[in-house]
Amino acid sequence: MCWRRGGINALMLLVVVPLYLGLSSASWEQRAQVRSTAPPGYTMPAAFSRVLAMGYQGLLSDYEFLRAATFYGDRSVKRQQMSAEDWDFFAYSLDVVTDLDPYFLDPYILGEGLLTWDTQRYAAANALLLKGMQYRTWDWQLPYYVGFNYFYFLGDSATGSTYLMQAAEIPGSPAYLKTLAARLAYYGGKSQTALLFLQQMLAETHSEALKQHMGKRLLALQGAVQIEEALQQYRDTNGADPHELSDLVRSGYLEELPQDPYGGQWTLLQNGRVYSTSKFVDAKPETK
Amino acid sequence: MLQRVWALALVTGKEGIRDRSLFGILLFALFVLGLNVAVAGFFMRDLGKVTVDMNLAALSFAGLLLVFFIGINLMAKDIDKKTIHLVLSKPFSRGEYIVGKYFGLVLLVLSTLTLLLLFSSATVAGVHAMYPAYFGGFTWSVYFWAVAFIALQLALLCAIVVFFSAITTSSFITLIFSVASYLVGVTLEEVLFYLKSQAAAGEVVASQTLRSVLEVVAWLVPNFAAFDLKTEAAHGLALEPVRLLTTAGYGCGYILVLLWLATLIFRRREFN
Repeated sequence: MCWRRGGINALMLLVVVPLYLGLSSASWEQRAQVRSTAPPGYTMPAAFSRVLAMGYQGLLSDYEFLRAATFYGDRSVKRQQMSAEDWDFFAYSLDVVTDLDPYFLDPYILGEGLLTWDTQRYAAANALLLKGMQYRTWDWQLPYYVGFNYFYFLGDSATGSTYLMQAAEIPGSPAYLKTLAARLAYYGGKSQTALLFLQQMLAETHSEALKQHMGKRLLALQGAVQIEEALQQYRDTNGADPHELSDLVRSGYLEELPQDPYGGQWTLLQNGRVYSTSKFVDAKPETK
Repeated sequence: MLQRVWALALVTGKEGIRDRSLFGILLFALFVLGLNVAVAGFFMRDLGKVTVDMNLAALSFAGLLLVFFIGINLMAKDIDKKTIHLVLSKPFSRGEYIVGKYFGLVLLVLSTLTLLLLFSSATVAGVHAMYPAYFGGFTWSVYFWAVAFIALQLALLCAIVVFFSAITTSSFITLIFSVASYLVGVTLEEVLFYLKSQAAAGEVVASQTLRSVLEVVAWLVPNFAAFDLKTEAAHGLALEPVRLLTTAGYGCGYILVLLWLATLIFRRREFN
């Protein structure tokens, strides 16, 4: 009897427990693999999730936000390209999160930070921010970002400045907003605009990952601003644009072209704006 | 009479506090509060909202567990174990028994909630101190109002438990009926307003009967969503005194009616 029990114990310890430990880690690895290639998943429409949340809509909105943010973070860390479907999921998730709790600030900020720069869905980003403006009436940041989108991405300075003035009128908004509006009107859609907005966004962000993400873009924009300033000097002296940007270095307006941290080549757009072939987004390996 | 009711309430409350599952519920709530400190850093700006969401969810969910698992047991035990004969042989009216039991449950809920509120306030204050810049709209007064209305919601649920215990013979049926009433009460408002908005938009046509049924249900089942101030607390939104007063009055009225009905039914009940 005693040796039999000892045998069972030995079998459990030597075979079953190691087998379990091995299979458990194998299963986790498998899940990681499945998740990395799996379609983005499904976010339930707010009409249903609001009911199914059983009074915990706020908590559910936190969870759904975290799910969307980590989904993007996961793809970004693994340098996998977000497909159109992935972005659909991301944008829809933010929409649902803000239906669950329309006062929640984070999804608006994340939408502004990613939907515009990374996937050029300006209308979606603006729609999200406009929804937020209906609820967060005390918050100057939302009209401020809508204004920025109109200025910088959509090239509509008139609408942009309307939103910016709206933001400036909200109590508690920083005093520099009015000056910024004036400066923006002068700079129009140039990189200096984006730099100012991005510095502001960076100063108020807590998340380290997002700070890093935006810090890199800030560096790129600083490069663009440097080139634009040299370009302006070139125009003032020569009365025309150079043929290519390397002319600025040759004629001594710049010591060298700054590095684009995203690895792209600087180009001069038709509207006189300096841009990069990287579009200030990480070059990502092709998937599939 | 008050003395007798109070004595029974005290005994019931103490009996509930002796229940071992109370420790499990408290541990669960404390775990969520701890989790909150760890999770808050994952968010970008609205850390205050996330903290309040998690804290209030922990409090209200712990309260639900308390009522459903300990509260129902406290009511059913007397009948299951026949100790009710002992109680009713004392100079106790059946109405006093119902009211006493009810206040015992409320006492248990309130004392547990007070303890959890202490821990939760410490957590909120701690996270607040860690990230002072990200607690934009947070105000303590709205937070405490939200907790007070969670307490009222749970008191209402206790009345439902007492009512169903008075009319059914098995604690399991009481559990099923109470949980069902809670689920209906907590989702009713959302469904009703959704149907109204969709019907107004002309999208749902055949819902007229459903709407009428739901409107009748809305008279029978309390609208638990009315007591939910979690969003207001999370963002520090202003609360109008009229709204607080109406809701509190609505809750208390429902409790009184339910206890009265429970007494009426319980008086006619026979025990074997």
